[in-house]
Amino acid sequence: MSLTLLLDVAAGGLLLGGLYALIAVGLNLQYGLMRVLNVAHGEFLMLGGYLTYLLHVEAGVDPLLSLLVTGPVVFGAGVGLHAVLYRRLLRQERTREELEANSLLISFGLLFILQNGALLLWSADIRGYQYLDRPLRAFGTVFPANRVVAFVMAAIVTALLLLFLRRTLAGAAVRALMQDPVGARLMGIRVPRVHALCFGLGAGLAAVSGSLLSMLFELTPFVGLPYTITALVVIILGGLGSVGGSLLGGLLLGVVESLGVYFTAPDLRMVISYGVLALVLVLRPYGLFNPMARRPGQSGQA
Amino acid sequence: MLWQVSLGVGAGEIVALVGANGAGKTTLLRALSGLREGFLKLTRGRVRFRGEDLEGLDPAQIVTRGIAHVPEGRHLFPGLTVLENLRLGGYLRARRREAREALEGVLDLLPLFRERRRQLAGTLSGGEQQLLAIGRALVQRPSLLMLDEPSVGLAPRMVAVVFELIARIRARGVSVLLVEQNVRQALALADRGYVLENGRIVLEGPGAGLVEHPKVRRAYLGL
Repeated sequence: MSLTLLLDVAAGGLLLGGLYALIAVGLNLQYGLMRVLNVAHGEFLMLGGYLTYLLHVEAGVDPLLSLLVTGPVVFGAGVGLHAVLYRRLLRQERTREELEANSLLISFGLLFILQNGALLLWSADIRGYQYLDRPLRAFGTVFPANRVVAFVMAAIVTALLLLFLRRTLAGAAVRALMQDPVGARLMGIRVPRVHALCFGLGAGLAAVSGSLLSMLFELTPFVGLPYTITALVVIILGGLGSVGGSLLGGLLLGVVESLGVYFTAPDLRMVISYGVLALVLVLRPYGLFNPMARRPGQSGQA
Repeated sequence: MLWQVSLGVGAGEIVALVGANGAGKTTLLRALSGLREGFLKLTRGRVRFRGEDLEGLDPAQIVTRGIAHVPEGRHLFPGLTVLENLRLGGYLRARRREAREALEGVLDLLPLFRERRRQLAGTLSGGEQQLLAIGRALVQRPSLLMLDEPSVGLAPRMVAVVFELIARIRARGVSVLLVEQNVRQALALADRGYVLENGRIVLEGPGAGLVEHPKVRRAYLGL
């Protein structure tokens, strides 16, 4: 086994890891802010994939351009769903335990509704299309062009999100609300609005990931859940609530998975993910890259 | 729990509200700034500010009406820079120019933050954090500034800096409602004072007079 081959496999994993990072960042934004774990995250990804598929196959829209539709449309849907489903809940619940339990119930409901809605609308048939399905030579090796394009787009969208969070006043307000809800309210930051914005952003980012993934893999109404689990593994790797941690965690999981699958068998992909998760939970329960190592309760809603 | 508390702050006045732990001082401020969580409700009474009833307004609406609240424990954003903390004071200001002017004004008042604007707020000393919390509230350009225990946990030298800052803020025409356990210094600075006990106001009067009051001397100054 040569070193170059090993590097090839790792590079392939890195490309996929970029997508994992994008998927996880959205979920982490929702959880970090609201302590609401949205298990229907993968369903928004599935919706993004189908939207891109339909736009491409039915209307001839370039899958890359379709991102400009899928992201904003699902963002808007996310904001609307937040107003209908979560707003009252976040206003009423007293303890974090109640909030987490009830919001989990809501998102499980959402998961089933979205999956079965997709099943009714689009049937269980496997859908897919060919896009940029040719080899790309770079750094003395060969990558499928669509994987490289998907990775680059994921990196661009992630960079835009980071720019928003780090360079704008609204982004500072989001981070402020994560760090100190009382302080944020005294600045006049309206908590329900920021929550809705972030829920929408999380959904929109999932949809963009789904659009990109549809260039690489086939779609069914049930593709979502495994990605939700992958995203969960990533945000636990990187630390709950840490955006930077999710990025590194996503890349790392992509590489570890690819190498693991290469040395064992493709069927063991999920086993490898869970293995990584179990190791991290035992050794570094607050995440690999979380220097402040938040302990439960320290960052709760006041 | 508060009962029949009646207090007023005149324009350009420093009013001190003193009392032991649990007397209800923090509750009072939270009621004024709209931080009402489930248990905290105004069952009766009203809050009027410049002739307007504030009941039922949320914190954002109260900020826009000119009341800023520096809470106990400061509630800064530790992972944000000094500059980001200050800029969030101007969060509700729609006009960018006004927000920038307010920010510049505060940086003139507290020049140490000009050099340290890129430092994370969580890495400042306790006293600097208190100054930053006050600065962040001042970016809101309040006409009434409410300070909850600004001197708690600070070294005596820093306490003097904070009290001197409060005097300078008043000199700019901002009214100050000061909640303190540091009774002697608070009353010395204040124009008027109120003593709160078990949710009721038991004494009120000019600051200097209250320091001399036998009850205050016995209960809070240990004389």
